[in-house]
Amino acid sequence: MSIGSRRARAVVVVTMVAALALPLVAWHWSRVGWRDKHYNYPARPHGYTQIVNRFGQPCNANASAISMSWVAADTGQTYTFRFHRKLGGYPTEMVSNKGGNSTNLDNDVYGHIRNDHLSPYVKHGIYGYLCRTIRNSTKWSTHAWGIAIDVSSAEEYLGKCFSTVNKYHAPIWRNHNWYWGLAFCDPMHFQYATGY
Amino acid sequence: MRRKVAVGVIAAIVVPASLAAVVAVARPAPQVVVPPVPSVVPRDTGAGELLLVVVGGVYPSRAAAEAAAASMQFGDVQGYYVAPVAQFQGFTQQVREPGDFALVSAFRTQEGADTFVEFAQIQGNPAFLLPERVRSLGGVYVGLGQEENPDGSGPLLGPVPESLP
Repeated sequence: MSIGSRRARAVVVVTMVAALALPLVAWHWSRVGWRDKHYNYPARPHGYTQIVNRFGQPCNANASAISMSWVAADTGQTYTFRFHRKLGGYPTEMVSNKGGNSTNLDNDVYGHIRNDHLSPYVKHGIYGYLCRTIRNSTKWSTHAWGIAIDVSSAEEYLGKCFSTVNKYHAPIWRNHNWYWGLAFCDPMHFQYATGY
Repeated sequence: MRRKVAVGVIAAIVVPASLAAVVAVARPAPQVVVPPVPSVVPRDTGAGELLLVVVGGVYPSRAAAEAAAASMQFGDVQGYYVAPVAQFQGFTQQVREPGDFALVSAFRTQEGADTFVEFAQIQGNPAFLLPERVRSLGGVYVGLGQEENPDGSGPLLGPVPESLP
């Protein structure tokens, strides 16, 4: 047997062993202690009146009470943003006690995305609470209640009626009561409300 | 017989009183009445007030300013407003750039202005806060009301001591 063919065979064997071993040693967020809690999620409101009844007035102190950080996969930039007290900040293995009421966003949604190796699909342009209206409108944005998160905003720009990156983790948001803005050509946008 | 009547009278008094007490205890505390915030932001120009103004650029014409505003990335929330610089007394002295129209957003509190500057810059847009407050002479709407009331109740929909002349 020639040296060349032996080398080729060795490469094949190493590749096969690696392919078989990888799933066994694959890193998961749960390995460092993360657990999906699903603790104390508020019911998802529909329309302005229900949003106010459930989350208070726009721009109230609870709307920006909790903060978390997220690193954009493409630029490495860390975004720190704020959101409503009812959507996170409850202490878990991975989240310190921030005075929040549930585990929704910072533990569960974020944890699932990390655990399922979907972080590469979270790109730059991430923000949450902002006391502001909808673009070219006088209506309050859902961001003003801290119940909306924009993810990969540069890539998933407003007016784009399809998705290229957020589609990979959109099911996770949906499973945690978030409504995806792709339905109204705003694929960066996830909000904890419908009918608004 | 007397005893029965007495028991009946006592029961007639005690039972309703007990029920009333239970109802009183079970009744939720009266809710704090919060004045409702309108679902749309009032078009308040803050005429006469001293405002903090965040500037995104100064342009020779309204059309040029609107084109610049359309090209900026603010996601799905409102970015700058196009306004004639003449609607703010003291604007041109602080900006020192030629042009009759500007991209601006006005605020009454330092925190509101700082938050918007940070947000605009994170999105990759130009943004700077005028060093001094300027007096609003009225005119077009430039974003007032889109900042937190310092008492935490909701948006700030009126003047604060710092914005009053």
